[in-house]
Amino acid sequence: MQNQLETTEEEECVLRPMNCELNQLSRPDGSAMFMQGDTVVVAGVYGPIEAKLQKMMHDRATVETMFSPAKGPPCVDDRAKETVIRETCEAVLLTALHPGMAISINVQELQDSGGLLACAINAACLALIISSISMKFTVAAVSCMIDRESGKLIVDPDSTQIQQARVTFTYVFEGIKKDLVSCHTTGRFSENELMESLEKCRAASQNIFDFYRNIVEQYAIKL
Amino acid sequence: MEVNIKDVVVPGDVAVEIMKSSEKERVILGPGLRRDCDRVLVTKAGVLKRRKPAIFYVDSYQKRYVPNRGENVVGIVTQKAGDIYRVDIGAGELASLSYLAFEGATKKNRPDIVVGDVIFAKLLVASKGMEPELICVDSHGKKGKLGVLSPDGMLFDCSLSLARKLLHPSCQLLTLLAKEQAYEIAIGMNGKIWMKARSVHETIAACNAILAAENTPPAEMPALCSSIARNLLRIS
Amino acid sequence: MASQYKTIHPVKYLRDYLAQDIRPDGREFLRFRSASVNVGAISQADSSAIFKIGSTTVVCGIKAELAAPKADTPNCGYLIPNVELSPLCSPKFRPGPPSDQAQVASKTIDDILINSSALDLTDLCVCIDKLVWVLYCDLICIDYDGSVTDACLGALVAALKSLTLPEVQHNPETGAIVVDTSDRKPFPLKSLPVSTTFAIFDEQLLLADPTDEEESLAKGKLCLVIDGPELCGLYKPGGIPISQELLSKSLEKSKKRADLIRKVIEAAVTN
Repeated sequence: MQNQLETTEEEECVLRPMNCELNQLSRPDGSAMFMQGDTVVVAGVYGPIEAKLQKMMHDRATVETMFSPAKGPPCVDDRAKETVIRETCEAVLLTALHPGMAISINVQELQDSGGLLACAINAACLALIISSISMKFTVAAVSCMIDRESGKLIVDPDSTQIQQARVTFTYVFEGIKKDLVSCHTTGRFSENELMESLEKCRAASQNIFDFYRNIVEQYAIKL
Repeated sequence: MEVNIKDVVVPGDVAVEIMKSSEKERVILGPGLRRDCDRVLVTKAGVLKRRKPAIFYVDSYQKRYVPNRGENVVGIVTQKAGDIYRVDIGAGELASLSYLAFEGATKKNRPDIVVGDVIFAKLLVASKGMEPELICVDSHGKKGKLGVLSPDGMLFDCSLSLARKLLHPSCQLLTLLAKEQAYEIAIGMNGKIWMKARSVHETIAACNAILAAENTPPAEMPALCSSIARNLLRIS
Repeated sequence: MASQYKTIHPVKYLRDYLAQDIRPDGREFLRFRSASVNVGAISQADSSAIFKIGSTTVVCGIKAELAAPKADTPNCGYLIPNVELSPLCSPKFRPGPPSDQAQVASKTIDDILINSSALDLTDLCVCIDKLVWVLYCDLICIDYDGSVTDACLGALVAALKSLTLPEVQHNPETGAIVVDTSDRKPFPLKSLPVSTTFAIFDEQLLLADPTDEEESLAKGKLCLVIDGPELCGLYKPGGIPISQELLSKSLEKSKKRADLIRKVIEAAVTN
């Protein structure tokens, strides 16, 4: 038992401290402000709501996502993020339960200091959890990078570390078997680096899943 | 992760106990659970609960209402369209309510309902992919407690879990409140509550009393009631 | 009969094929379609290529222009890829401004090129802080039948490989520019990144190089970009989770495919 505690403590240092506030927004059906180190993101979920006629699907719910950057109008970069968030959430949700409806996920960046995409996905997942929409599993996103000079693998880097990155990876794992749901990379890397980072991030993702369970425990007392 | 009854669960957990207990009884999976081959998986975050004999469900915090057949809801009439009314019950789409679905209503004798009225109705049709349909009569054609609610009352929204908590037979809040205050209440499973006391002042006080129960665990309910009685109601 | 069945039950139709260990177009699960490339078909462009994978066809035209460099990178030229998914290539697309999908495709192609070691943007510099080459790469999809990223990247790389740039004399004092079109030098492309797409169907069944039909019915998509001995991109935007073995398997397959595509492109360019 003692041993187990020690290992979790050791692993906790790998990720930046996480924090979250649930349902701070009054209008959405579920909202979460998620902080990972200094990266802060707010996600709000509406759903199931009425779908727009053009986007309506007869056999499942449409998932709409909107990613708004901290400043300026959304650009092509944000579209790419939106696509990853949307497709990840689509994998998470049991969309077949609400045919002809829409589930709208809105993510607003507040502050980016590294690992924005991972933070956005985690915030969206928390917002979905709190909104009680039926889900297949939870997902946890972990980012990591390889240092240009030392070649060292750093899990969940902050913005100063990212400046020195040769490669960055963002992985999303599901909570049951920890299989890979989404993946996004930048830079050039070898197969070994890929596999090593994948393993490290997979191990680190457990912290996020534990964090989710803790959060649920906190609000479940009130039921 | 494998979970048992009364555990805190998150989506993707496997409820092992349910499959074990299914030897003889008929197992009913309530909200938040789904079957996947020979396993039962959790789909909502909350607390896994069991009601005798073998009804299992996940109690969770929820704001958005998903219509279920047979539930009583409170809604607002938003539109009159031909021979139906459109009622906002807080679900993804508006529910329909035929003008014939009232006690004693005929083609000539229409019920007196205008846009903006608050009604208490039962869901007759609520299946996925279909528009929910409301009625204001029971199977004997009697209105019972259903129908239009008086415009003197106040309508407010709360979470679905609070509505369920209030409607639970073991919840004493309403009885305790009644000792202090005369009121009329209609609680919809859709998280809309209509309430009316003797004066506007008292109505607001009573509404606040109910909303205060949102974040109170059931065990602390009696303490909450007495503090409400002390603070909110006596002042008026 | 089969066509009605396909219309009514598209998923079951595909699943029936897969149960027989074969795909609707007669391929095995991990078999790629044949790829072909034709270089220099458009004489107006500085370089061009047509890339075909099965019936998926992408035309790439590169236009080189001279411009002032960006202030933060005074010694780098730039490359602007633009993927166009016109209504011609598939009934899925409507006329009008570029769809989200087209924007994301452009972004993906751009990312892959930046991440790969193929391009050294300083090679596009004519005079530091004054004059650089800008390569406008227009990628037009003519036939959309799945694995469009692969075809886009193939067309772009083939066009870049055959690109020649005229010699430019720039006088920093007077600012005069003399372009000598008779003396064209080949643009040095350091490597040939190759992307391969896989579709994941049902419970962990991997389909290489999916057609549009398979892609739209699949539960997930995976895109691997091989750049020499290394990788320069692994994109999986959601979908069904993928196990470690499947990832390794797709990696192995895509390496073999990359060798083949590289040979095809090199052969086309040298001819």
